[in-house]
Amino acid sequence: MTKIDLFKLNKSDYIAAKKPVLIDIKEATYLVINGQGSPGKESFNDAVSALYAMAYTVKMTRKKQNKGDYVICKLEARYWSESALPLNQIAQEQWSWQLMIRTPEHVENSDIQQAAQALLSKGKTVSVENVSLCRHNFGRCIQMLHIGAFEEEKRTIEQMYAFAATEKLTPSSEHCEIYISDPRRVPPERLKTILRSPVTST
Amino acid sequence: MRRVTQKSYRSRIVKTLNYIQTNLDYELTLEELAREASFSPFHFHRIFSGMLGESVKELVRRLRLERSAIELQTTAMSILQISINAGYESDMAFSRVFKSKVGILPSEFRRTENARFPSSSKACIRYVTSGHISSFEPLQLKEYKMNVMIKDINSMKVAYVSHQGPYQECGQAWDKLCSSLAPEGLLGGEAKMLGVSYDDPDVIKAEDLRYDACITVPNDFQIMDDIKVQTISGGQYAVTTHIGSYNDLSDTYRKFFGQWLPQSSYESDDKPCFEVYLNDPESTEPEDLVTDIYMPIIKVCQQNTADKEN
Repeated sequence: MTKIDLFKLNKSDYIAAKKPVLIDIKEATYLVINGQGSPGKESFNDAVSALYAMAYTVKMTRKKQNKGDYVICKLEARYWSESALPLNQIAQEQWSWQLMIRTPEHVENSDIQQAAQALLSKGKTVSVENVSLCRHNFGRCIQMLHIGAFEEEKRTIEQMYAFAATEKLTPSSEHCEIYISDPRRVPPERLKTILRSPVTST
Repeated sequence: MRRVTQKSYRSRIVKTLNYIQTNLDYELTLEELAREASFSPFHFHRIFSGMLGESVKELVRRLRLERSAIELQTTAMSILQISINAGYESDMAFSRVFKSKVGILPSEFRRTENARFPSSSKACIRYVTSGHISSFEPLQLKEYKMNVMIKDINSMKVAYVSHQGPYQECGQAWDKLCSSLAPEGLLGGEAKMLGVSYDDPDVIKAEDLRYDACITVPNDFQIMDDIKVQTISGGQYAVTTHIGSYNDLSDTYRKFFGQWLPQSSYESDDKPCFEVYLNDPESTEPEDLVTDIYMPIIKVCQQNTADKEN
């Protein structure tokens, strides 16, 4: 049986170009968890491990049940602020985020509930209760590859915004990222992150 | 202290080399060789090939050929007899191998004055007519750079599935293990993925390689399906990180045992090594895979080292 690899099947959604590009992303299914706080800090890391625990538990349980196999996609994140201010003007502790892992459509809510129960019965990752399955439509987005530390994203974002202006597009207040490299292991200067900014026509 | 240890590793390997040369016509067992060098048989092959750049088998084959070359030039023995002395069934097989190493056939070699058997040993070991090898140059890799941490770890209870065969096929064991543990909620939290390899792929045939795919489990874990339980013993381990394809892990093992260990103040302990996999090979490009290799070690006591030197 072949494994579904959504990251490869939807290559055009994950273009990692060195210049900003305009793409259109269709509605898709994601395993998600919401939260608030600085990326890389406690609540964020806890959410990441809950999301991965669920992703692998669902995948391998379905495999056991002969429901097919798939590859766990890269971690994605949407960041926004509850206030009217743009993200770069508020403290990171107040950032809201949604962490997501793209998941095949045939994964069902019952799979999620079952996995959460199994994990909770072992009493480890309590936050798995907050993981859910949802559909999301990014729509039109400007996307670009950022190589380097997360703190240096500004230079890439500026290029994306300049591109938006020439294309007569307005970036939304939401900032999205797809993590290509593993920040635990890859030195900051070599980290690869796809930055994504949903846009609307001006 | 460091120098003392390395000297000790070196003199012990020299002892093995002479034992091999003296007994070139016999099949030597691992136990015999390790005993000769007062190494534990457990990791002997890895240390040997790591320091010399070739395995015992390869060395024996090469020394026999080098001896044949000398016999060709200094005796009137028939090529068939020389072939048999070198461990070949026929002179044709011998000639083929000889030509592949030297570039010319044994018969031509015999006729050519000043013909030399090329030196292919990375550690400068050649067949010595006088019968005694006095030293060798331990393989020193130019780009040898290895970050090693010494860690004291607690023993870990793991659920595991055994696999025998080429390492590339151990994915089946992983699938079985993960799909059995997932419905039980055992893939979350701090569950670590470990691989225990019992054999050195440089010496053991691919189909005989033994490997355990392991996932750490809580102490109250109950045996299920075909999933077994074992304990990875705690204690002192030297840990290095391998970045890249799993296919290249054996290179890192070779450096770890052949370069780092002899220069350290440690000896390997009689327990298998294990690997901890830090990312998902399904969704990670091979060059970005991260694996920690744990080598069980014991500190060399200075007194003992000095004794061995004497």
